[in-house]
Amino acid sequence: MSDADRGSRPRRVVALVGLGVRRTVGKARGGTSRRLLLSVSGVAVAIMVMVMVSGVALGLASQSAVQSEDVDYWVVPEGGNLDTIAVSTEGPQLGSTHELTERLRGDERVRYATPVLLQVVPVSSPGGDSLEYVLFVGVVAPEGSTPTVAGVSTAQLEPGDPYYANGSYDGRWTGEVVVNAGAAALLNASNGSAIAPARGAPEPLRVQAVSETDFRTGIGSTPVALVHLSELQAMTGATDADAADQLLVSTDDPAVRESLTELYPNTAVTTRTGIAARDASLSSLPFAMGVAALVVALLVGLLFTATMTGLEVTNDRTALATLAALGYSDRSLSVLVVVETVTVAALGGLVGVGLGAVGIAVTNAVAAATLGVPSIALFSPALLGYGLVVALFIGLLSAPYPIWLSRRSETLEVIRG
Amino acid sequence: MSPPSNTSAPTVTDLDGTAERVVTCSEVTRTFSRGGTGGWLSGGDRRAETVTAVADVSLAVSRGEFVGLAGPSGSGKSTLLHLLAGLDVPTSGTVTLAGRDVGSLSPRGRTALRLDHVGVVFQHFHLLSSLSARANVAAPLIELGHSKRQRRERATTLLERVGLGDRIDHKPGELSGGERQRVAVARALSTAPDLVIADEPTGELDTATGARVLDVLADVASDCAVIVASHDHQALDRVERVIRLRDGRREDEGADATRGENETMSGHE
Repeated sequence: MSDADRGSRPRRVVALVGLGVRRTVGKARGGTSRRLLLSVSGVAVAIMVMVMVSGVALGLASQSAVQSEDVDYWVVPEGGNLDTIAVSTEGPQLGSTHELTERLRGDERVRYATPVLLQVVPVSSPGGDSLEYVLFVGVVAPEGSTPTVAGVSTAQLEPGDPYYANGSYDGRWTGEVVVNAGAAALLNASNGSAIAPARGAPEPLRVQAVSETDFRTGIGSTPVALVHLSELQAMTGATDADAADQLLVSTDDPAVRESLTELYPNTAVTTRTGIAARDASLSSLPFAMGVAALVVALLVGLLFTATMTGLEVTNDRTALATLAALGYSDRSLSVLVVVETVTVAALGGLVGVGLGAVGIAVTNAVAAATLGVPSIALFSPALLGYGLVVALFIGLLSAPYPIWLSRRSETLEVIRG
Repeated sequence: MSPPSNTSAPTVTDLDGTAERVVTCSEVTRTFSRGGTGGWLSGGDRRAETVTAVADVSLAVSRGEFVGLAGPSGSGKSTLLHLLAGLDVPTSGTVTLAGRDVGSLSPRGRTALRLDHVGVVFQHFHLLSSLSARANVAAPLIELGHSKRQRRERATTLLERVGLGDRIDHKPGELSGGERQRVAVARALSTAPDLVIADEPTGELDTATGARVLDVLADVASDCAVIVASHDHQALDRVERVIRLRDGRREDEGADATRGENETMSGHE
């Protein structure tokens, strides 16, 4: 047979891919190769863990910043982060926030402005003897507009911040608090209930209203209590610098942004669009989790697949030597090994994303049962594609080792046995 | 569907035009080195021992011949068979397969030569266990780049020819030893080779099953040259000519000298 009788190379490659897939699936289905099943399991576990951790990361990333729909600008300290409560509550803060808010409110172009202080505060529930942790959000309630902050409306708070009293912190203590549904359930509180922060409050806070809205974060429905900023500062020792984590500004005039930048050196002024972009790309904690999960899955999957398919190739060297004796070129045998390795990884990926989806559901169920939060991890259909792509990548990355092993075998030695 | 054409294969034709030489070997010797790795611990004082597997063997096989390679274990049958099939190269001498000097080809060139001109049948069948009989037979055609339809048709035809038309979708594990060997013969024929070599093709089969496989090989020999290495009398009784080896040398040198360029090979020994 001459070269002219040969079919096209693409057709040969397609047929080799088909042969590799059929051989691998046939072996997996027949259960004839334990190593193959172990390889599939190894990749499946790596992808499952990655999908689950990515689900948690997605859950964290999907939490809303303390924002309201009509906020146009966020002023945050440079190096601060709007995206995660965890980071925001521990990050750098803004100072002299009441004074700045006053100045902003003096600007006609500004519809409203309020500083926001976030603190997790232990609270005694009414009649209860246990301490529960609630995310307190301190604001200066705007007059004439009632923005929603962290899912809770400021409407039920007395406008302004009476206790601040021009920085003397000896004004009238309103004790007003508006809680969301999560906090109400946690503290067993309703309208008129008294709740007592574990420290710093001269008298218990009185629930003005229970907001039915839910503030969901990466750790599920977060219990939120909205109070006046100065009262939260007093409770948490943040009065010295008049600290807050961020400043929300609502305006129709884009020129306000420039004023904001001038007003506060060393701060970042972010627009709503900017926040969205940051949510997607630089949400530090979830991003780090996602990257870590990817790296771990790649490493574990790579090592597992390379080792097990290497053993499989060694065990399968008779078949490869037979094909070589029949006239398969080294290149065709390498294609076959790559396809078989990638198929193993893809099978593992399929199983892995399925297990990952189940794992996310189980994680949420366990979290709900043990921590009382309904949703830690978030499942997105995109995770299916992500898991499969990573699995294919694992297969491609691990292929050189089995290829190298396959090329070490001497056809004649193997055939002679 | 017509079988793949091999009319373009460069083969050697005798002067009288009656026999087309498929493979010849001239004064072929194959030696192997054994040991001699020495090693760090042994101080490297072990010397390599040279073993001569095939010594100064010459022969020629033409299309249409059914030839046996006989000899006791260790006589060099398998080594000679591998040399004739282009699976190995001689240490000295020349093997000419389909008009090409095997020793002058690169490993890649020899692989291509085998694909185009040689079909191999192994003692242990060496079928791909996860594939059906048809897919096993069609496997060499993948490397030739044939379409799926062509591969299926060719494999089906060949399986019917070896009497396995009703076993097309069976996997090797579902076939008897004789059936597996017949699948292997069909696979060896899939590329319409000029030369089929079979190493102990009946070694793992009972007498009746072995006879069936030999029938198939004898039938195949009408289209191409078939060389069977065996020490099984049943197999050697079926071939037209037997080349006997002992200690790597031909025992029948006088009876069947093949060094003459124009000699015609035919008839029983």
